[in-house]
Amino acid sequence: MASTVRRAAILGGNRIPFARTNGPYARASNQDMLTATLDGLVARFGLQGERVGEVAAGAVLKHSRDYNLTREAVLGSALSPWTPAYDVQQACGTGLETAILVANKIALRQLESGVAAGVDSASDAPIAVGEDLRQVLLELNRARSPKARLAALARLRPSALRPEIPRNGEPRTGLSMGEHAASTAVQWQISREAQDELTMASHRHLAAAYDSGFFDELVTPYLGLSRDQNLRPDSSMESLARLKPVFGTRLGDGTQATMTAGNSTPLSDGASAVLLASADWAAQHNLPVQAYLVDAETAAVDYVHGEEGLLMAPAYAVPRLLARNGLALQDFDFYEIHEAFASTVLATLAAWEDPEFCKQRLGLDGPLGAIDRDRLNVNGSSLAAGHPFAATGGRIVATLARLLKEKGSGRGLISICAAGGQGVVAILEAA
Amino acid sequence: MDVDRLADYSRVCGYRLGSTLPPTYPHVLAFPQQLALMTDPAFPFGTAGLVHIGNALTVHRPLPVDRSLALTVSVGPVSAHHRGAQVELVTEVRQDDTIAWESTSTYLSRGASAPGGATVAGKEPVDGPTPPPMPTATWRVPADIGRRYAKVSGDFNPIHLHPLTARAFGFPGAIAHGMWVKAHALAALEGRLPESYRVDVAFRKPLTIPGTVRFSAVAADRGWDLGVWPGSGERAHLLGTVRPT
Repeated sequence: MASTVRRAAILGGNRIPFARTNGPYARASNQDMLTATLDGLVARFGLQGERVGEVAAGAVLKHSRDYNLTREAVLGSALSPWTPAYDVQQACGTGLETAILVANKIALRQLESGVAAGVDSASDAPIAVGEDLRQVLLELNRARSPKARLAALARLRPSALRPEIPRNGEPRTGLSMGEHAASTAVQWQISREAQDELTMASHRHLAAAYDSGFFDELVTPYLGLSRDQNLRPDSSMESLARLKPVFGTRLGDGTQATMTAGNSTPLSDGASAVLLASADWAAQHNLPVQAYLVDAETAAVDYVHGEEGLLMAPAYAVPRLLARNGLALQDFDFYEIHEAFASTVLATLAAWEDPEFCKQRLGLDGPLGAIDRDRLNVNGSSLAAGHPFAATGGRIVATLARLLKEKGSGRGLISICAAGGQGVVAILEAA
Repeated sequence: MDVDRLADYSRVCGYRLGSTLPPTYPHVLAFPQQLALMTDPAFPFGTAGLVHIGNALTVHRPLPVDRSLALTVSVGPVSAHHRGAQVELVTEVRQDDTIAWESTSTYLSRGASAPGGATVAGKEPVDGPTPPPMPTATWRVPADIGRRYAKVSGDFNPIHLHPLTARAFGFPGAIAHGMWVKAHALAALEGRLPESYRVDVAFRKPLTIPGTVRFSAVAADRGWDLGVWPGSGERAHLLGTVRPT
């Protein structure tokens, strides 16, 4: 076994524009979008027929028949059919987690190259039969005699025929992610105005990045869409202020609800992929290294009984990552903090500035401090682009790698919150 | 491009919904024009009982989903066939004023005769390998595939829709559309087709539905030799080749 660990290089990425749910990709399945995205990556990097080390990808909303979604997509793609693949699922952390998994194997010399990807469709969602009907069907399957079959069918009630549609909610609290985030927003006193400002910045930054051609090497048109459908370049504080709050309207105790459809991400469809490799493999293939994935950390919080917000795990993951790498929160040129909700980004930043939180919750001597907001999500993030759950990580990794390549030096921090009270964070450095 | 229609077609045939059109899709887009030509009084044969016996299509370059295309359909000369006379229907797709896709479908009018009393044109295509190669896949073709393909293609020929209507035309039961069989075979080659290629297939023994058939694709000349055979028996439903151009 090789003894030295090396850095995994990010060579670039490819994604399809993200669409709003039931929009242009309403008829596209996860496998359709993932295959199209892999083929786009193959075309960009000349990987036709190439056997890469592995492809790791996943989807959050996934039908049980798609247990081998990634391998099936690889078999239908222009990659070599001899390329192994596996599925990963870690809620909205899926996309970044796949990049970490592939990068770690490259670092340990188990792989020379790999693709990390993610896809999600909120439109083509798996619909399951209700639990009552499922139990009847299973019993029917076990029944060995006509009498037993009849007995099983006799348990069938019309109400059992109601299908089960996936919900954007936490099983243990029954609350939607938005309701959880609304509680956190109240706790950290995140104002409506601050949320709308962050939202407007996201739209303007993403629009400017498209206009400058930044995404020409990152986005491949799909089904008639060439830019993210949710993007509203003319977003203004006035237009955002007109939107009615949709989350936190039932919190009571006289608090004003602040979270709207504007400063929350919409349900989206899309896919993204990132090409990682060893520096040697990159050189052999004449592909420049854009950035290195230096280190990563995941954290989870007890949002059920532990009095912590559902989406606050990155606030815990980042200080651990910083400590291990001997860095301060201010040592970064770019911050990519996934905008699940504008309030989530702002609550995370507020927590890092709060001496009490940093001391009591994080066990630090003092606050991590503020960041230079001009370095935050400089080319837009999920509020503008949309958020097909598992595809967001790949979008961010490829975007940050390209930002670092253009700058030619520096370091970037990625922070992604996920359902189940989890957070996935990582550090990228310019090549 | 009507993405809903493309998605319906892709699902019935087994194609992915991708950035480029499935190789057989322009055939469906051109179907109304083909039907108009075939029902025109000037068409040499009546359409009832006309049998689709072959199709050769060439993908000169991938057709992007989001680009418009110009279709032209024309009728070729009538020639003799072992079992009657045959006529060719030629479809061309142009994008940016160059031919991006073309297809020739051959139809047989059983018992008809070619003008000038000409006899057999060429020879009957050779039979496929005997015994058939090891199957690449087993397909379970459902009883409603004719109706489902009819909906997405517009080809409501009664021989495909129901056993009773098929029997009226002398078939033992409803039979799958030849172009569905061809499309399903090409869908099975997802990710394995060259950039530009010609697919030449002969529709042989009708595929009665429902049925379980064996599909084989054998790599040959940087392309594929294709075949669809019954679950048992050696008379192929479809024989064909894929070759890069």
